[in-house]
Amino acid sequence: MTADPEYAHLTPLLEEYSGLEPDDPRREELRDRLVTGYLPVAQHIARRFNHRGEPLDDLVQVATVGLINAIDRFDPGKGGEFFSFAVPTISGEVRRHFRDQSWSMRVPRRLKDMHVSINGAVSELSQTLGRSPKPSEIARHLDLPVNEVLEGLEAAEAYRSSSLDEMLSSEDGSATVGELVGDADAELDRVDYRESLRPLLAELAPRERTIVMLRFFGNRTQTQIASEVGISQMHVSRLLAQTLTRLRDRLDPGERAL
Amino acid sequence: MPQQEPSSAPAEPRAASVEIRTAARAALIPTVRAVASDLAARADFDLDAISDLRMAVDEACATLVGLAEPGSSLRCTFDVHDERIDVAAQVLTGADATLPTDSFGWRVLQTLADQVAVETGAVDGGRPALTIRLHKLAGPAL
Repeated sequence: MTADPEYAHLTPLLEEYSGLEPDDPRREELRDRLVTGYLPVAQHIARRFNHRGEPLDDLVQVATVGLINAIDRFDPGKGGEFFSFAVPTISGEVRRHFRDQSWSMRVPRRLKDMHVSINGAVSELSQTLGRSPKPSEIARHLDLPVNEVLEGLEAAEAYRSSSLDEMLSSEDGSATVGELVGDADAELDRVDYRESLRPLLAELAPRERTIVMLRFFGNRTQTQIASEVGISQMHVSRLLAQTLTRLRDRLDPGERAL
Repeated sequence: MPQQEPSSAPAEPRAASVEIRTAARAALIPTVRAVASDLAARADFDLDAISDLRMAVDEACATLVGLAEPGSSLRCTFDVHDERIDVAAQVLTGADATLPTDSFGWRVLQTLADQVAVETGAVDGGRPALTIRLHKLAGPAL
């Protein structure tokens, strides 16, 4: 895409925008005009990714986020054309969206919807039962054949749906790491392994570390952890499995190279 | 309080047995754990138990594969009962192979399984072997 007379009037605005102080009151209005002016570019790029399983509206929104980033980061002082900066920035944003939602490209919509319903059923049933539900209980709750629920659970396992899990996770009620792992920490102090686990645990992201501590030193079930940390049981399950694999590789790198 | 509604449960006849044998290589463990998780789901274990069993089998197999004789096999048997799955995972090892139980991996197994034990001994005409046996219940013991 090269300079287009349709956008020529925006070039001076870009220069003005990039010269403004971060707290300048004119920024917002200028940015709105730039976003509106360049919007056809974002729409054009979004349409190129259409029919890959994501609604066009979502794609346009993601592309617009990319456009805003491009407008914010473009520096006319460095020379170069806005388009040659903006197009890769916007496409990159859309590609990242697909990568984060990676399973939506490959999994039939039906299974994706099922994952959402199953997740909802699991959290409702866990509350009433006081434990995680069985496939038959989920099936009854959703009025679906057990086989379909099994298929949905399998799909959830096969396709790393972490971004979907993130979307479904509520931030409410999640306690802080320190609050949760106090007892578990004390338990870890009491055991002495051949391997030195503590430095490896310290390298983990806080949430992964919390989950591992609660499961293996805090005597909590996955369902209990899910409600304490504020994410779904399936998400806890996936994070635990991933973290265990990582810890195992780090604890014993030599023997696992087979 | 478990509800008795056997008609809607996907459980099959009792004590179904499944055995799989793979090369004792880490790359094949995902296949074994997928079988474990599928059996537990079809036996209507609760989701925590399904996931725990899957990770326990993963851990047991990874431990054994690390100790297996080069070029040997990993043998896993699953006995599916109404409310319990018994797993035995076995590899052939060198003469002096031992499985440490003061490791984090062992704690992982103890936490995930309801019962776990390791057996050393000779199989198949005196070749040394290591076996991890574990039991997983279908849900929390009430």
